[in-house]
Amino acid sequence: MIFNSLEFFLFLLVVGFIYWFVLKRSLKGQNILLLVASYMFYGWWDWRFLFLILLSTVVDYFIGIKIFNSDKQKVRKSWLWCSVLFNLGLLAFFKYYNFFVESWVNMFSVLGYSIKNTWTLSVILPIGISFYTFQTMSYSFDIYYKKLKPTKHFIAFAAFVSFFPQLVAGPIERASNLLSQITSKRVFNYNQCISGLKLMLWGLFKKMVIADSLAPIVDDIFINYSNYSASTLVLGAVFFSFQIYGDFSGYSDIAIGTAKLFGIELKSNFKFPYFSRNIAEFWVRWHTSLSDWFRYYVYFPLGGSKVSKLVSIRNIAIVFLISGLWHGANWTYLFWGAFHAIAFVPVFLLGKNSKYKNSTIGENSKLPSINEVFRMMMVFSIVTFSWVFFRSATIADAFNYVLRMFSVFTFESYMHPRGFRMIDYYILVALFVIYEYLIRRDERAPFKFKSRYVRFMVYAMVILCMLLFYDSKIDRSFIYFQF
Amino acid sequence: MKKIFFKGAFYSLLIVLVLELVIRGFHLTKDYPIRIIDKNQVEKWKPNQNGYSVTGNRRQNFSEFRINNSGFNSYREFTPSKEKKEIALVGDSYIEGFHQDYRFSIGNKIEKQLTGFEVYEYAYAGYDFADELNLISKYKDKFNLIDYVFIDLKFNTDLQRGVYAVIPDRMNLETPFYRNLRKFKLLVYLNSIGVTGDLKTRFRELIALKIKPDITPSNENKLKEVDEINPKYLANFNTLVETYNFDKSRFVLLLEKRNTPNAFKNYLKANNFKFIDLSSDLEKSKTPTTLIYDSHWNDKGRSIVANAIVKYTRQLEFNY
Repeated sequence: MIFNSLEFFLFLLVVGFIYWFVLKRSLKGQNILLLVASYMFYGWWDWRFLFLILLSTVVDYFIGIKIFNSDKQKVRKSWLWCSVLFNLGLLAFFKYYNFFVESWVNMFSVLGYSIKNTWTLSVILPIGISFYTFQTMSYSFDIYYKKLKPTKHFIAFAAFVSFFPQLVAGPIERASNLLSQITSKRVFNYNQCISGLKLMLWGLFKKMVIADSLAPIVDDIFINYSNYSASTLVLGAVFFSFQIYGDFSGYSDIAIGTAKLFGIELKSNFKFPYFSRNIAEFWVRWHTSLSDWFRYYVYFPLGGSKVSKLVSIRNIAIVFLISGLWHGANWTYLFWGAFHAIAFVPVFLLGKNSKYKNSTIGENSKLPSINEVFRMMMVFSIVTFSWVFFRSATIADAFNYVLRMFSVFTFESYMHPRGFRMIDYYILVALFVIYEYLIRRDERAPFKFKSRYVRFMVYAMVILCMLLFYDSKIDRSFIYFQF
Repeated sequence: MKKIFFKGAFYSLLIVLVLELVIRGFHLTKDYPIRIIDKNQVEKWKPNQNGYSVTGNRRQNFSEFRINNSGFNSYREFTPSKEKKEIALVGDSYIEGFHQDYRFSIGNKIEKQLTGFEVYEYAYAGYDFADELNLISKYKDKFNLIDYVFIDLKFNTDLQRGVYAVIPDRMNLETPFYRNLRKFKLLVYLNSIGVTGDLKTRFRELIALKIKPDITPSNENKLKEVDEINPKYLANFNTLVETYNFDKSRFVLLLEKRNTPNAFKNYLKANNFKFIDLSSDLEKSKTPTTLIYDSHWNDKGRSIVANAIVKYTRQLEFNY
């Protein structure tokens, strides 16, 4: 079931009604409902993989108790390793097995040995596996680091692992935030509900208007890149920057908004990343729940920045490479991660990785300074360049795309095979950037206007845009489902 | 909780109102001309109407139509006579061309190249081969005066019946219920961009407990289907041709590869039917020949079709 579908709308109405009207006095009842609804939400796609989630839930539930009950550090560590190996084992089998086998066979063929590849398996990648395995692992880590006590309520824990708004594409929640809310009594809050509905509307806009309308253009350019001029390839990369942002941040907004309808606050996942002034700030603003996960559970345990510069650089490289690989079993993602590590290290060495942590562009003025605009454009260019690797089907395609983009720079106006009126899309993207700038101070309040009339007109315009760019012929699934 | 429902309902109503105003103000959706069945039992538009046709969510195509005194979309009146040279184009929405200003129709493009000719576009959205031949037969006093008649034929969709009868489903659109529904421009707009159709389909699928939406076959599959000749359609073609005394000397069929199998073209050749295959000229074009959200010919496509008809007419004139 996807957020931008009729069945999700009906599903939400029914579950919301039972949750707040029938079960409003029973926390246990509400949690059971959340669990059933979440399993139904996931099972809508493929019910067979529900067993994987259940298995992951059972394993980490008991491992959490075992870690907590053990006094000996060695035993605690062994149990933690059990959790890590189990979850990574699931990922390794479903997501990376074929990739490693193929890479191994290719490596031998490069060395001149011909091996017949008979080991690859026809395995379906379960949707959201990277998200929920990371979430359950964070639970075991937090208990191991004594930041959390294990819960005794299995239903609540199972609801935490499978909480449907964020199950398949995040934000990846830590138990200290989400589980504590699931085990506490929830009371209907009008303002929270309204704020949730607003976020959902904004998320749907980003998905249906920005991402979905740019998708056919991006697809055409990336598939047929060898037929297009350099200017068109630049356009394809820029449009993909907006497509992936609209798609993923739109999903996160809908997830956060949906959770609010059930009285639960999820972490922000995107904080206007394209308004970043250096690459470190970009990573504080892009997919923050994943960045935090890597920071807490990989970077800090490796020593973080409290070790020598050289080791810190190694730690940064490890985090970005794993982050790349987390996105998918393909050399393109690995290269994308490596590229970001290379872009991040100079900022780290200059000690500017925390410079913009708590500020936004145009912090004390209506317009950004020229310096800020220049920095922002630089970061956007670097990130957009890296998306070429992220979006390309193979690493060879990515390099060919880049080569063609830089070898002969010719300008040619782009024409989509379906004859799209391109000016509409340029205006759309420009207006989107301007609007995002206007709301840049609070990612959780996209319609924060004092005047009720202005607010209403913005709602109407957002819905009108959804109609103006509605296309019944496109695939509406979210990009991050594949991860 | 109640507050949310009441406020939500109130806001939704206001938004519907604003959208209705915007759609009307910017003329984002098309006007519907009135259909009639005339005294000859021919379905056509009520004569002498004007309006605007809109294609695409964002008015990618905006054009004026003009229904003439004969009940067809054309910039001219149809007055055939023995003294003049005339061409008739008989077809469906492709020829009718509501999606292009009536002043720049295919007929007009032909007239600009063939001096001395008048072109009459007897076209109506939804016409199939039975409709077309019935029209020619019912208006034979006019058609007998016309020198050449070009008839649009899509083998895979236009030959599903071998006997003419008025199609009640289309005329149901003229009931007071549908006429009143069309007054809500937002509804018309949602329908034209595919929202209501998608919702209806998904609702039906959900009621039938279909969890995953149906995937429509790709164009490649459709092309494969096209290459097979349907015996029922061929039989219908022959029945209609015989029933209406198809005049092979003056009538020319307009075909396109995407909806006509090669075997049918071979059949036409073997039986001395005149036809023009528009596909090769359309495929040669470097720019798109169809509209954005449907398969109707755009201005470029219509110019190519007009050129093909002009070329063929010159050949006929030369041979004559």
